[in-house]
Amino acid sequence: MELLRELAALQQQHGCLDDGCLEELAERRGVPRYRIEELVSFYTHLRRTPPPRREIAICRDVVCTMHGGPRLREAVAEHAVEGLEVTGVSCLGRCDHAPAVSINGQPAGRVDPANADALLDDSTVPWLTAHDRCDWLADPYASPADHYATLLALASDPPTLAGTCLERLQDSGLRGMGGAGFPTGRKWQLVATETADSKYVICNADESEPGSFKDRVLLSTVPHLVIEGMVLAGLTVGADRGILFLRHEYSLEQQVLAAALQTAAARGILGENAAGSGRSFEIEIFVSPGGYILGEETALLEALEDRRGEPRNKPPYPGQHGLFGQPTLINNVETLALAVPIIHHGSTWWSDQGRPGFDGLKFVSISGDVVEPGVYELPVGTTVAELIERAGGMDGGRSVKAFLPGGASSRFLPADRLDTPLDFDTIAAAGSMLGSGAVVVVAEGRNLFELATGLVRFFRNESCGKCVPCRIGSHRAVGLLESVAAGSAGPDVLEELTPLGDTLEQTSLCGLGQVALAPILSMLEHFPAEVPAP
Amino acid sequence: MIVDTAMVELTIDGRSVRVPVGTTIWEAAEQAGIEIPSLCHDPRLAAAGVCRMCVVDVGERVLAASCVRECSDGLEVRTDSENVQSHRRRLTGLLLSEHPTPCARETRTGDCQLEQLGRHFHLEVPPTAASSPAPPPPDLSSPVIAVDHQACILCDRCIRACNDIQSNEVIGRTGKGADVRIAFDLDRPLGQSTCVACGECAAVCPTGALVGKVLTLPVIRREDMTRTDTVCPYCGVGCAVTAWVRDETIVECEGRESPVNQGRLCVKGRYGWDYTLHPHRLTTPLIRRESAYPKGPLSPAVASSLPGDRGRKPGGVVDLDDVLPAFREATWEEALDLVGSRLTAIRDSHGSNTLAGFGSAKGSNEEAYLFQKFIRAGLGTNNVDHCTRLCHASSVAALMETIGSGAVTNIFADVARADVALVTGSNTTTNHPVAATFIKQAAKANTELIVVDVRRNAIANAASHFAQIRSGTDVAFYNGLLHVLCRDNLVDKDYIDRHTEGFESLRELVETDYSPERASAICGVPAEQIEAIARTIGKATPTGGGGSMIVFWGMGVSQHVTGTDNARCLISLCLATGNIGRPGSGLHPLRGQNNVQGASDAGLIPIVYPDYQSVANEECRRKFETAWGRPLDPEPGLTVVEIIKGALLGSIRGMYIMGENPFISDPDSNTVRQALSNLDFLAVQDIFPTETAEFADVILPASSYFEKAGTYTNSDRRVQLGRPVLAPPGLARQDWEILCEVSGRVGLDSSFTDVSAVFDEFTALTRNYQGLTHENLGLTGRLWPCPDPDTADGTQILFGDGFPTTSGRGRFVPCPYRPADELPDDDFPFILNTGRVLAHWHTGSMTRRSQALDAIEPAPFVAVHPDDLQRLKADDGQELKVTSRRGSIQLSARADRNVQPGSVFIPFHFREAAANTLTNDALDPQGKIPEFKVCAVRLEPA
Ligand SMILES: Cc1cc2nc3c(=O)[nH]c(=O)nc-3n(C[C@H](O)[C@H](O)[C@H](O)COP(=O)(O)O)c2cc1C
Ligand code: SF4
Ligand code: SF4
Ligand code: SF4
Ligand code: FES
Repeated sequence: MELLRELAALQQQHGCLDDGCLEELAERRGVPRYRIEELVSFYTHLRRTPPPRREIAICRDVVCTMHGGPRLREAVAEHAVEGLEVTGVSCLGRCDHAPAVSINGQPAGRVDPANADALLDDSTVPWLTAHDRCDWLADPYASPADHYATLLALASDPPTLAGTCLERLQDSGLRGMGGAGFPTGRKWQLVATETADSKYVICNADESEPGSFKDRVLLSTVPHLVIEGMVLAGLTVGADRGILFLRHEYSLEQQVLAAALQTAAARGILGENAAGSGRSFEIEIFVSPGGYILGEETALLEALEDRRGEPRNKPPYPGQHGLFGQPTLINNVETLALAVPIIHHGSTWWSDQGRPGFDGLKFVSISGDVVEPGVYELPVGTTVAELIERAGGMDGGRSVKAFLPGGASSRFLPADRLDTPLDFDTIAAAGSMLGSGAVVVVAEGRNLFELATGLVRFFRNESCGKCVPCRIGSHRAVGLLESVAAGSAGPDVLEELTPLGDTLEQTSLCGLGQVALAPILSMLEHFPAEVPAP
Repeated sequence: MIVDTAMVELTIDGRSVRVPVGTTIWEAAEQAGIEIPSLCHDPRLAAAGVCRMCVVDVGERVLAASCVRECSDGLEVRTDSENVQSHRRRLTGLLLSEHPTPCARETRTGDCQLEQLGRHFHLEVPPTAASSPAPPPPDLSSPVIAVDHQACILCDRCIRACNDIQSNEVIGRTGKGADVRIAFDLDRPLGQSTCVACGECAAVCPTGALVGKVLTLPVIRREDMTRTDTVCPYCGVGCAVTAWVRDETIVECEGRESPVNQGRLCVKGRYGWDYTLHPHRLTTPLIRRESAYPKGPLSPAVASSLPGDRGRKPGGVVDLDDVLPAFREATWEEALDLVGSRLTAIRDSHGSNTLAGFGSAKGSNEEAYLFQKFIRAGLGTNNVDHCTRLCHASSVAALMETIGSGAVTNIFADVARADVALVTGSNTTTNHPVAATFIKQAAKANTELIVVDVRRNAIANAASHFAQIRSGTDVAFYNGLLHVLCRDNLVDKDYIDRHTEGFESLRELVETDYSPERASAICGVPAEQIEAIARTIGKATPTGGGGSMIVFWGMGVSQHVTGTDNARCLISLCLATGNIGRPGSGLHPLRGQNNVQGASDAGLIPIVYPDYQSVANEECRRKFETAWGRPLDPEPGLTVVEIIKGALLGSIRGMYIMGENPFISDPDSNTVRQALSNLDFLAVQDIFPTETAEFADVILPASSYFEKAGTYTNSDRRVQLGRPVLAPPGLARQDWEILCEVSGRVGLDSSFTDVSAVFDEFTALTRNYQGLTHENLGLTGRLWPCPDPDTADGTQILFGDGFPTTSGRGRFVPCPYRPADELPDDDFPFILNTGRVLAHWHTGSMTRRSQALDAIEPAPFVAVHPDDLQRLKADDGQELKVTSRRGSIQLSARADRNVQPGSVFIPFHFREAAANTLTNDALDPQGKIPEFKVCAVRLEPA
């Protein structure tokens, strides 16, 4: 953490990390130069050349592409303004404001490609603010004064607290909302039973998957639930340090969080005697130096240990061997936030929140061709069709062609699966996955081949490059798809994609490579006619 | 059946396998004789699991990489299913699609592991490449390694080799995703990076991405070359190597698996062997022409060091062409007869003690044994010495006096078990590079490393404490440490009672006179740091934590007029804390040359016969008189510096010098030159025309290390067999044979069937080498003493229970601080320190004739602190004149923050700016070692 923080600070100070500055750092800290090179060249947020006066970074991923991102980029690039640099970046996590951009690190959104000029002058930029609507059922507290009541009621007796938390979480059947869906109660239990000198709780707020932005909204609307969830987790598993790993593009949310952390500290929720438990628990924010792969929990740990964010081979899992080799609980923002109402109300309440046959609540991001993209708190069991209705229906009254139920890494489903309830097992049975609960809706008339190619390109761009299948395979797949799109190769070359996708799934080291070809393969399966004719 | 909890049982391809917990599937399969292909895995390296070639089916959702997956009970593994094979095949295809086939490794040695897999899977022409990013051009900037990024498969082996094995920390990955490649430092060309050219990366690279450059002839397919397992000719570490030969030429040296180096090498061992083929090799006996008398220097550098001679530009090594005109070729008979008759004549007319011999620590035990026998029994004098005098004589003196044995008490690799390691007066990464890798590795694991030195050498980067002391103040510093240890009761009382004597007098001295404050005032290390280091050392005592400590030292300790005192202090430190004779503990003076230990063991010292049997001891003398059939001189002989002085004064009239070059290695070169030209007769046995040979009457062409068999004893006491790789050039002969011939010429019958018989005669006269034979040394040698050489490796740790002293106890010798002999003053304001650089060795006669080493460090330099350079108004790289009371040299400045302001460092390898023109020949009273590490000099822009 130290080295990456120092690099970020140096960059803040000098604008960039030039060789002189890095040589000096190596000498001063006695760090081998190669280690600095490894970091600086890996993390997208670190730069070696001086920044332009105005950097307009335009999202190049699926949702923004649907909303005119490429056109916007061309339009801005036409302005040959001195000191202006226009770049394409991976999903900014503001797909509800597509096309999303970042201007000198500040987010703006829903930019009209026809009015690209607006981005050149700060006064006309459609700046975004942190989301602050808050009427979630999941928040058990009527007013700020009630915040942390669940924790405070239990904290005086940590063993009971741990017992209660573990029991309620296990009974509720809550599963991880970061994508993998691992049962949360079991995870807490595993870390709690480890014996070690120190343990860590990490909140994974790296949310970087195209289509997913629910964590962003939770962070800015119910930061107290995330903090409370972390403290409860800390006291349960016996950790004394919490780290909130936040993607750097969430600068607006960072401010909200920082304020909430201050309030929590002032109220004695954090500190030497956290919430009166007699135990110490502190939370610090670690701002990600950039890259989707850091959301993968072991890549995240590597980053915290000042190395390249390359996923570790598992097992061992972080629960046993995590940050600095210590047992580490890693949970998604939503998972931690939802733990609070479950521990507060109990598992019966939780179960009652779902539709018949389903348990609980789910925060879902919906974007694409709907009227009101955004984050919706749904009773589990709500179907995709219903969700689209809640989001104001289809944009322009078009009909659905296909949808991704779980963001970029899930497989496309055709419109005939719209009635699938949004839950882990039902979506899996329909042939895709719920993932982080990011529904991207694609209307008839869209070029699915292009969108699916874009998704593979996203994985190629975000591959850490550690292992052979993903590093070379994703690149090769993009090459094949682009040559077909350009007409320089016939569709038959795509036959290679099926076995290639199989090899990526079977042999890649981490989840990124394993799913990298899922979007294109599902598209080829359901919509073979979309492949451009030679 | 009782299930051993530490074992797991699983099936691999239907075979049931039982392995210890923690074994990986790959390892378990290997044990079961099932080979799983892999590209990134190398058993010497921590598993990385990045190439995914080793995937196996364990019945999970996806395949598992067997090199990183641990076995678990009941696991059913399939390593060869069609599914698994098809994925491996596809991965191979993906890699080949970006690989320049055939790559440099394939075209050279025919063993690119990727291309081998490609053939295995019958992948002919790789599928059309995707729109890959353009590969960076080849990087040929390193003198020894060619880098082709395009052939790189990013297996990370080189990264782990450089960072984890060698701890040189140069290579990493740069970039992300499809753009990743390896990079050196901040993505510099290899030749401009901090790479120390150890070659470990190229040794582990499975493809043509990193391959050795051609140094002699190109390497060819392995099966078309011959391999010989031998030992490195350079430093006291004694790494095991394999030499590859084609067309009577060495083309490659590889590290070999052995307890010494575990396959590692440094730049000299890996790339410094082509000197054997250098055109300067002496190939025929030479006799000085009448016209070349009176004797004088022949080569320009030597001539130009004469006062008033401004004639010729100095540079490089001695050229054969400069020396040859003064000599005529002779037959062996003529040359040997001449040597014999001249030496006999001097002996007979002036007495045996007007003769002297310098043997060499570069030669084998057999040669050292024969040499001292020739001088002692043949010429009748004990005036026989070698360069140990110049490196560890003081250490040996202190060790003999205090613990009764001059050798190390433990091997360097045991640092891995030490809780604390002290490295002092040792630029370890430069002078004992492979030993340094073990120390650095231990420091990264659990060993707390303390480095004490006047320069901030690279080893200090691995240390948790670095104390930069003033030159020549070691005694004060260690007395300060001992003060704190005694004061805070961080000593091993029980050990002191049982195994030592004299502790009270030590305690009294350090407690009254060497408070940390007083010590600090002398040595310049802050008192708090002395306290902190003492506390760390205290962890290696029963009262402080029960750990262990090992102490390493080099010439920074020994080459002082207080060298013996310095070593006594280190010995006291180990005795007081009970750190001798236990695992992870001990005293380890790091030996300079490959056979300093063995040459001393074999008796190449004026005061002792082989195995340290005293010449002054009646009983010992009798024993050797009987063995050699000659009366022997009861008087101890003269040491190196005393012999040179004797030559100068005329009391030494004839000398025989084998493989040594005192002109450059000894202090005060001008005196050496005069001394050598003063001799009535000088015979030189060597492989190159050295500066010393310029003063010879007869030069006998010898064989290089790679041309002969013999044993060498490394710093660890490991006796290893060097095997001949090449035949000697021209008429050059094996050294042991030459020695037998000259012995015969002075009337000492000396004939052996072969060199192993010499070894047998030597070992029979010793206790420590008893039982060792060329045969039972095997491929990895034996540590002496080795009571059962046929079955065991020998004794690693000595003196667990008392010492070979008369009392059986180790002795504390309290040493008050005494300053260095020559301190800076207004006229000579800088302290000069001398030593070595990584690429060179000793007087450079071998390394400067090795292309790669010469390319890495071609010229002399003086390392000066940048602040001092500024004061001198000189720039980095500028020529400076360095002058001492004894002489003056000119060389370029190198800005170096690792030397202290007020002191400078000059490597002594370069005769064109011979550091020993400047050094002070003041001697340590016990060790008789000159003070190479401190003298006063003046610097001025040239
Ligand atoms: C490529 C990749 C990216 C991921 N990104 C995120 C992320 O941004 N946020 C997140 O919570 N989990 C992410 N995950 C999942 C995490 O690895 C981990 O499973 C999760 O943080 C665990 O928390 P949970 O049990 O609460 O879901 C990602 C996984 C992969 C393979
Ligand atoms: S699958 Fe891709 S992202 Fe994951 S470790 Fe391998 S290269 Fe990195
Ligand atoms: S030669 Fe040695 S120091 Fe240089 S890069 Fe290779 S392993 Fe590292
Ligand atoms: S250079 Fe060689 S050893 Fe290093 S990563 Fe590439 S292929 Fe592997
Ligand atoms: S912000 Fe553009 S796709 Fe998410």
